[in-house]
Amino acid sequence: MNAFKRDKKEEEDGGGNPFQNLEKTTVLQEARTFNDTPVNPRKCAHILTKILYLLNQSEQLSTMEATEVFFAMTKLFQCRDIVLRRLVYLGIKELSSLAEDVIIVTSCLTKDMTGKGDLYRAAAIRALCTITDGGMVAAIERYMKQAIVDRSPAVSSAALVSSLHLSRVSGDVARRWANEAQEALNSSNVMVQYHALGLLYQARKTDKHAVIKLVSKLTRTSPKSPYAACMLIRMACKILDEVDDDEELLGFISSCLRHKSEIVVYEAAHAWFNLGRVGTKEITPAISVLQLFCGSQRPAHRFAAVRTLNKVAMTHPGVVTACNLDLENLITDSNRSIATLAITTLLKTGAESSVDR
Amino acid sequence: MDGQLLEPTLYTVKGMAILDNDGNRILAKYYDKNLFPTPKDQKMFEKNLFSKTHRANAEIIMLDGLTCIYKSNVDLFFYVMGLSHENELILMSVLNCLYDSVSQILRKNVEKRAVLDSLDIVMLAMDEICDGGIILDADASSVVQRVALRTDDIPLGEQTVAQVLQSAKEQLKWSLLK
Repeated sequence: MNAFKRDKKEEEDGGGNPFQNLEKTTVLQEARTFNDTPVNPRKCAHILTKILYLLNQSEQLSTMEATEVFFAMTKLFQCRDIVLRRLVYLGIKELSSLAEDVIIVTSCLTKDMTGKGDLYRAAAIRALCTITDGGMVAAIERYMKQAIVDRSPAVSSAALVSSLHLSRVSGDVARRWANEAQEALNSSNVMVQYHALGLLYQARKTDKHAVIKLVSKLTRTSPKSPYAACMLIRMACKILDEVDDDEELLGFISSCLRHKSEIVVYEAAHAWFNLGRVGTKEITPAISVLQLFCGSQRPAHRFAAVRTLNKVAMTHPGVVTACNLDLENLITDSNRSIATLAITTLLKTGAESSVDR
Repeated sequence: MDGQLLEPTLYTVKGMAILDNDGNRILAKYYDKNLFPTPKDQKMFEKNLFSKTHRANAEIIMLDGLTCIYKSNVDLFFYVMGLSHENELILMSVLNCLYDSVSQILRKNVEKRAVLDSLDIVMLAMDEICDGGIILDADASSVVQRVALRTDDIPLGEQTVAQVLQSAKEQLKWSLLK
């Protein structure tokens, strides 16, 4: 009976999982095919996928095994098949912390990142920066600065994000490349704008005046990218937390309550409460935004609203009472987290009169 | 209010995962070493997450101090995790991008078998969406553009004769090997 059940299960899976029961040693043995010339892209891509799958299933490779696979993988650089090449980049990233002497691929990657195809270049930059250590940063600096201001958004984003990762390894990277990031900030691409702002903040965050200057310049033009806008709101909050009320910044945050992206609207409402300036006139629009979210079709919106209200209710129950009716509707929400949050919020704001309802 | 102001940082996403309908990992990535230091911790979290989400079609849950947004289809579960005070709608946009990219890659045929058949491309897509916890791209069509580059996806008319012959040869070879 049991065997029958299992058969049926496998049948449902459509013949079982081709990646199930992979043996680490067998796969590593198969990786020797990488040394064959000419390279068979299909076959090698399949084997490389198996290796990546094993790593993703958190199979442990010893340093020796990892190094051996890594070196076999470098042979695949002779093949121009684009999927295979992209998988090699992925493999380099995954193995960079396990294998030894990974810097051997530096020249291959620098060649790819300065080459023709934009798709190669972006991915090569990201792979290159994972194998770069503090001492090597100077060697790739020139290429990175160029890539940051590249006209391809994919390349520019990849370079900006990688620089941010690199600034954990080598502290002053962000500061040295800030001019390029400043230029990238003017990009019309929403993601490039977001990543550039992230790198600029990293470069200036120790200098309060520089941050204030950056923020006040950007708030006037209000970034197009919703992600960048959220980041800017957070930066403004950080400043407001330290200085006295700055009309301009407060004005910016309340103007974001009318942003066309819901992500930004919520971020702005959330920011109002976290600033702890309850009592100002802008609190009413922020509350009505959350009230609107309480009635949303999407559980994530309702959750976001009720979680924020719950936090506000802890310190300022009076402000939240306006939403009591909406919260009462959420008690029976099909999502348990939302229902629980709604109940605990009401316990803080509710009066005796509402208990009966 | 634990009222912490949100730190202005690009490191938003703490993890992404695709599980099957037994809660086993198909693909998963964790971007914060401090959160789940060992593979065992990750697996435990996934089991826990799955047991709490596989029945309730609720889209969002708080678990172990993380906000987890999820979505399921046929025999797959997609998750995106972030810190509990993170903007949920940002996480939501990442999840939508992950799901829509996979859906476009698999031509709307979002199920386990199809994901495993195109595992390489799905891996590349996950890598294009999030880089070390930073949202790299949240637009599904641009993600797909960056990864779905198989030559046999080019319509027959636009392939050269040599390419057609090559792929025919390979298919024959594989069918014989089976």
